[in-house]
Amino acid sequence: MKYDLSPDQKLLKDTAREFFSKEFDTTLVRDMVKDGKGFTEEHWKKMAELGWMGILIPEQYADFEMSFLDMAVLLYEMGYACFPGPFFSTAVLGVITLLEAGSDPQKQKLLPEVARGDRILTLAWTETSRAYSASGISARADLQNDHYALSGTKLFVPYAHIADTILCAARTEDPQEDREPGISLFIVDGKSPGLGVEVLSTMAGDKLCEVTLNQVRISRENLLGERNQGWSVLKRVLLKAAVAKCAEMSGGAQKVLEMVVDYAKKRVQFGQPIGSFQAIQHHCANILTYVDTSKFMTYQAAWRISQGLPFEKEASMCKAWVSDSYRQLAALGHQVMAGTGFMEETDLQLYFKQAKAAETAFGDADFHREIVAGQIGL
Amino acid sequence: MDFGFTKEEEELIEEVRVFIKQEVTPELVAETEDLGAIYGGTQARKFMKKFATKGWLTPNWPREYGGLGSSEMVTYMIRDEMAYARLPLYFVGAHMAGPTILRVGSEEMKREFLPPIARGELEFVLGYTEPDAGSDLASLTIHAEDKGDFFLVNGQKTFNTHSHVGDYHWLAARTDLDAPKHKGISMLIVDMKSKGITISPLITMAGWRTNEVFYDGVVVPKKNLVGEKNKGFYYLLGALDFERMFPPKAYQRLFEEIADYARETIVDGRPLSKNPLIRQKLAQIAIELEVAKLLYYQLAYILDKEKIPDYQSSMEKMFATEMAQRITNTGMEVLGLYGQLTKGSKWAPLAGKVEHDYRGSVVETIYAGTSEIMRNIIAQRGLGLPRG
Repeated sequence: MKYDLSPDQKLLKDTAREFFSKEFDTTLVRDMVKDGKGFTEEHWKKMAELGWMGILIPEQYADFEMSFLDMAVLLYEMGYACFPGPFFSTAVLGVITLLEAGSDPQKQKLLPEVARGDRILTLAWTETSRAYSASGISARADLQNDHYALSGTKLFVPYAHIADTILCAARTEDPQEDREPGISLFIVDGKSPGLGVEVLSTMAGDKLCEVTLNQVRISRENLLGERNQGWSVLKRVLLKAAVAKCAEMSGGAQKVLEMVVDYAKKRVQFGQPIGSFQAIQHHCANILTYVDTSKFMTYQAAWRISQGLPFEKEASMCKAWVSDSYRQLAALGHQVMAGTGFMEETDLQLYFKQAKAAETAFGDADFHREIVAGQIGL
Repeated sequence: MDFGFTKEEEELIEEVRVFIKQEVTPELVAETEDLGAIYGGTQARKFMKKFATKGWLTPNWPREYGGLGSSEMVTYMIRDEMAYARLPLYFVGAHMAGPTILRVGSEEMKREFLPPIARGELEFVLGYTEPDAGSDLASLTIHAEDKGDFFLVNGQKTFNTHSHVGDYHWLAARTDLDAPKHKGISMLIVDMKSKGITISPLITMAGWRTNEVFYDGVVVPKKNLVGEKNKGFYYLLGALDFERMFPPKAYQRLFEEIADYARETIVDGRPLSKNPLIRQKLAQIAIELEVAKLLYYQLAYILDKEKIPDYQSSMEKMFATEMAQRITNTGMEVLGLYGQLTKGSKWAPLAGKVEHDYRGSVVETIYAGTSEIMRNIIAQRGLGLPRG
């Protein structure tokens, strides 16, 4: 067991910390909520130059290959900075899906552009059914001679409004018992005729979209992976994405801790810093416990993914633990920072909202506890 | 980062498991339960005579004092396995007094005490708490008067659990009445058979015994002063950092038994384990056990880097012991009305183990520093918040 980052990972972490603190502050987070696009070209290009889009991309397609654990280190810093934009949907969701299911020509075509920062990706799977399972997918892809016609409505698709490519899950077969659930994945051009995108108004300002598909024409070569085998791919992708999301959450949690402790040391009431009161100290001790344990659970799961070990149980344990921890520690943070933390101009509230949004992404704690229950043979 | 164990570590642990499987008797498990998992009973000493021959009681000690010179990681792994097997958990000699003697004791003291501790032949008795010195330990008043050739000790200790089974008192006593309270304390090693010591039992709500210890003119030889005079409180704080670690597997076994019970018990036509609420609760425990494991082995990792864990050991102790109470409470919820049935009752599930541990786990968040003191330490040492 080793709990420290490698020298390379430390370098990556320091580079990211410096980049985000120099290039960017939370004014921009607030601006991006109002901004239509939700990211700036300038930052996007610089991040591509640093090689970050390509961390998960094998070296045959780009020059920046690092491990999933390295990606977790970077995402931790993005979470720390509360950095908005389509990085997660592109470099994590999109890239992992392409790697899990894509043919070599498909990867050859898309991944080098992603690594250069020239292509934004996203993944569309949830729908209005509210179900987080294959049965919740009812968008249809009908095979018509040389192409598929995609119709249906997708919800909560991150950054679809600026995505060049939407990887989309749709039904190619009706659900039947004892059969693969009949889901296939498709590579959909963001500018396809029949495709409509509307940005939803969200609490944390994340650009989540409604995507409507009306007889969108997809050529057969843009079937991603095997027909009817898409659900098992999605399950793996979403579990890895859950761990990646936890890395972002752990970084955000660390930032909350620092803001709160800093405040507790400076804020004077009853003639002394409030941080000297046990009630406040115990809140802070609980926050640190949530922070440390979230980090360990995240890095353990990310390490298993990097090592090619089975990771299902640890990944679900991780998402369940971090989901609850981040929400609870952000709430404790508000208790310490009181009225000040409640003000829009204070950063704490940005993290509080992010914590809730991230908790619901890729399955909340209840969802993942149910997976864990299955994994431990209940 | 690396969250696995090495091949050598895995192999050693397998050897330990096999040994434990072959050598642990029902009598030993029963004795351990009766004693509240402290070391020193007859069965435990019998078992340890063989177990310690392998160096497994004190693997991190140097070979010359009876250890294997191995890593803290291995030491922590072995302790975790011992906890899982329901062997004694609380060793004052091997885990608290011994490491302190190793750091600050004279060569003569090391030679006298360390090898027999490593062989499991000597057990110490933790002598910290007094009626008016609990969390505020530096307020202790038992007096060791320097008489030139010896110390003359008068006063009282309480909650010294090993007293009726241990051999030597690991005694914190006041040696300077005028110095600031934490600068006037020394550590002494006192033979429990010394003239003038009276041990009086206190019975806990868990059923096991702890003790009051009275000192009435007890003579302690000068050579039994540990390290320097009046530095005892600092040694004690250091020893507490070793004590504050709690093997997460101590309650894992119970959790597994509760999960088995849920799988095997049919209620309203389906196993309890198919009830969504029970699945949520048990999965949450499985997750917390994983969290506790990562906190626990972090301590070994820090020690192996030759650093001293400070807030981390408090965090591990706090988390693992609070988890222990959540595990026993979850067990009681799963068992429902049956949970209250005690050992020996014909309807008691799991031989009354859940009921027993539910009572017993109350003290986990109290001994060796309450959860509240742990949070103070985390806040002050870990985050630099000012003392109030």
